Amino acid sequence: MERNEILKRVEEIFRDELEQENLVLTDDTTAEDVEGWDSLSHIQLVAAMEEAFGIEFKSREILSWDNVGDLIDCIQKKV
Amino acid sequence: MFLLLSSYWFYSQIDIKMTLLLVILTLVFWLLGRGVAYYLDKEDEKRAAIVTNVGVVIGIGALFYFKYLNFFAESVTSFASLFNIHLSWTALHLVVPVGLSFFTFKLMSYVLDIYHGKILPEKNAINFANYIAFFPTILSGPIDRPKPFLKQMNQTRLFNPDNFLIGFRRVLWGMFLKMCVADRLDIYVSAIFNNYEHHSTISIIFASLLYPLQMYADFGGYSEMAIGVALILGFQVAENFKRPFFSTDISEYWRRWHISLTSWLTDYIFLPLNIKFRRFGIQGTMLAIIINMLFVGLWHGANWTFFVFGLYHGSLFIPLLLSGHLNKKKEIKNRTNICSFFVLVTKIASTYFLVTIGQFIFRAPSLSDAYAIIFHSFNSWNGNLFYDMPTLINAIICLIVLFYVDIKEEWFTPKGANQLRWTKPYQVDLILCLEIICILLFGVFDNNQFIYFQF
Repeated sequence: MERNEILKRVEEIFRDELEQENLVLTDDTTAEDVEGWDSLSHIQLVAAMEEAFGIEFKSREILSWDNVGDLIDCIQKKV
Repeated sequence: MFLLLSSYWFYSQIDIKMTLLLVILTLVFWLLGRGVAYYLDKEDEKRAAIVTNVGVVIGIGALFYFKYLNFFAESVTSFASLFNIHLSWTALHLVVPVGLSFFTFKLMSYVLDIYHGKILPEKNAINFANYIAFFPTILSGPIDRPKPFLKQMNQTRLFNPDNFLIGFRRVLWGMFLKMCVADRLDIYVSAIFNNYEHHSTISIIFASLLYPLQMYADFGGYSEMAIGVALILGFQVAENFKRPFFSTDISEYWRRWHISLTSWLTDYIFLPLNIKFRRFGIQGTMLAIIINMLFVGLWHGANWTFFVFGLYHGSLFIPLLLSGHLNKKKEIKNRTNICSFFVLVTKIASTYFLVTIGQFIFRAPSLSDAYAIIFHSFNSWNGNLFYDMPTLINAIICLIVLFYVDIKEEWFTPKGANQLRWTKPYQVDLILCLEIICILLFGVFDNNQFIYFQF
């Protein structure tokens, strides 16, 4: 799957889960940049992405993400 | 090297035997860090995890041995006796190394961050040892993370007059908080709690309401001094308090109180647990929060009061979680509207009241003492409020100063504003002089120890 395609799908998931229709994600986006993205909603986002892409993340992978770019890289390896 | 030797000398003045423990643990973890990185380079994640876990076990092991072994053994013995099983345990006379709870957390976060790919191992052992033993923060924090501190160790630091001035001001402010607010309040609060049998309900309630302010001034004051000294030396260390009594709910309180500890536990306890329990939805998150808050409580010491304290605070998160209000970014921004301001003040007062209950449990020497005070309170409504006018007047004056500064910082200072906002040098001199005069006039000079040194 193309990276851009993954980013678009992740963006939709974020918009849906965080209830922000106009949210735009880039590789450099972090939790600090997004209203509502905290340690609690992070897990909801992870669960939603796992379901959407049909994958399962390891704990170590989730904890290693610093930004959306790391997240996309991780998904790309799995799909 | 000079900084490291200074740090070890500083620590040795408090506890020379445990300095050896500090040095050994530092060396062990530096090697463990290199081991984790070695196996990660070889893509041998299994062995990397084993080495990381060895580090975590050593860190927790040291904490358990010195802080919790006696408590655990005595609790098991008491529990067994309920079933007529008689175990015997002779309490070990262990002295908890000063700062153990703080530097073991730094050691563990180093290996964990390497394992999670957040940092590379520090090649320079002296830099790593400085991170662990940094004397302004070794005794009672803030608990710095390896990445930002080691980055500074690896940079050239030049004397910065602005940082020196800001640091000096923070030290003075910390001294004011500790000596003028905390120690002054302690005179009144201790007078009540140490002799609660002779005091009325209203006095006990009043002392209970003052105690969180005393804790804030004591630990906040220490943190200000630690951060200030670090800044004078050219280091930015983690902030520890962000005006916690402006919190509008308990989750916000824990984002403003002892920030370095709660963020450490969030990253290394709560988040991994929440990830593991994610299949269980909201119940999984609830369990992760409760466990996390139990760690917060028990980190403070080996006593059932800390366990109950943690459980109490964990349970306060549940209504917020269920109602969907555990979101850090939703703030009440509009304070100009009277209704909004009234709602804001009500939420702040309610949160403060909830915190007071927790601190009451926290302060009690034991659960039975806490119960005894509560029982006495229910039967002493007839008495009057205890007046110690000189102490109270001094404390109130100093609290007004504290409130003024905190309100100004919270509501009337733009975020990210320069800490040296004044434009004229005389304003700097005036504020410094005022702070020194306040400390001399209102300070308690009887070598009162910081509350958090015991942890």
